[in-house]
Amino acid sequence: MARDGQLTCITGAEGSGKTTLLRTLMGFLPVGSGFVSVDGELLTVLSAHAFRTLMVYLPQQIQMLAHQLTPPEASVSEADDYAVWNALLPCATETPQPSPLSPEDIFRLAEKTLSEAIDKQIVIADEPAAQLTPELSERMLQLLRNQADAGKTVLIASRRQLLIEQADQIITL
Amino acid sequence: MNGTMILHILLGLLLLAIPAGALYVFDKPQLRNLGIAVGRMAGQLLVVCLMVWLLVKYDKIWLSLLWFLLLAVASGVFALRRMKLPLAQYLPPVGAGLFAGPLLVGSYLLWASLPVEDGFGARWFVPVTALLVGHSMTMCIRGLSTYLSALKADEQQYEFLRGNGTNHLHAVLPFVRRALQAVMSPTIANLSAMGLFTMPLLLCGILLGGISPIDTFILTLLLVVGCVASSLIALAVILWLADRQLFDKFGKLR
Repeated sequence: MARDGQLTCITGAEGSGKTTLLRTLMGFLPVGSGFVSVDGELLTVLSAHAFRTLMVYLPQQIQMLAHQLTPPEASVSEADDYAVWNALLPCATETPQPSPLSPEDIFRLAEKTLSEAIDKQIVIADEPAAQLTPELSERMLQLLRNQADAGKTVLIASRRQLLIEQADQIITL
Repeated sequence: MNGTMILHILLGLLLLAIPAGALYVFDKPQLRNLGIAVGRMAGQLLVVCLMVWLLVKYDKIWLSLLWFLLLAVASGVFALRRMKLPLAQYLPPVGAGLFAGPLLVGSYLLWASLPVEDGFGARWFVPVTALLVGHSMTMCIRGLSTYLSALKADEQQYEFLRGNGTNHLHAVLPFVRRALQAVMSPTIANLSAMGLFTMPLLLCGILLGGISPIDTFILTLLLVVGCVASSLIALAVILWLADRQLFDKFGKLR
């Protein structure tokens, strides 16, 4: 059970199910056994969206969210030879993956996301320091600690000793 | 088709001697390909024109609509093959989009806008809707493939938005925006490139049909605008209908 005003850290070996647990708590995956409830209300597939409006989520692959900081530019097209109605049939478009964010940008995105969700009660962060430098990891920890101090329920999954040591509650898988 | 017409065709086809002669001298292996291509083109044209001839001859709206439905489905199959997407999964939304967009815009143009009499007669209905379906199919390939590949490449962004409480409709909006850009960007480029010296084939076709230059101007303008509107409606319908195929009940991309 994760409590308000506390930083709860889920830890365990790689592949132990930390991310799966977080995703299940958010209603992204079905519950195999047992149940998930928030303030006594049962979280189901149908109600998951309503619960997620109470949550801030920093995913494990946060470095892939470049387009969340900068929307992609539209590609400039050249005119076809015979104008719109006679265009040769185009090939299917392949969209490349966005370039990974730098550690500074990851932290900036996390900071922005948290600051925009000031009224949300639950913070979920999956490996929030995995892509960060030691200095930024400290700042991330402080950021999450501030959220807990503001009375929010902060739930993180991490294998980083720094975060585990600072957690109020540790759940080992 | 009488003897004179056949003679005219044969005289016209004599012009093929020029490219055939050039290929014979410089690139003999291509000669066979030219023959196959011309034969195939002539065969396809003949089939299409026979169909249109039948439609115009009987001139029944239900027959024109049936032909239009078949055209939309065939275009959908063609577009999906081009995109290498499974027919069973995507043909219903794509076919419906390619039917709905051109039908709505075509009906509006023929009923309210184009300076033609008996707009719903096969004489006008068939070419106008065929033009709209053709353009919508091209744009569907650009739009849908961009939407799908952007979702795949940027699945993390969708999940991030959903995880932060955004509803599904708003979470797919960045991807809809990219599909729209993929459709509109070449359209804008083509519209702006429509120059005085590269007369669009559509304009030539209408002029060849015996329409006056002023009416040709109006028809071309409205048909081009119709093409753009039709492709966007088709894309919207396709994305809306394809949504359930794309995401599972947990909101995860299948």
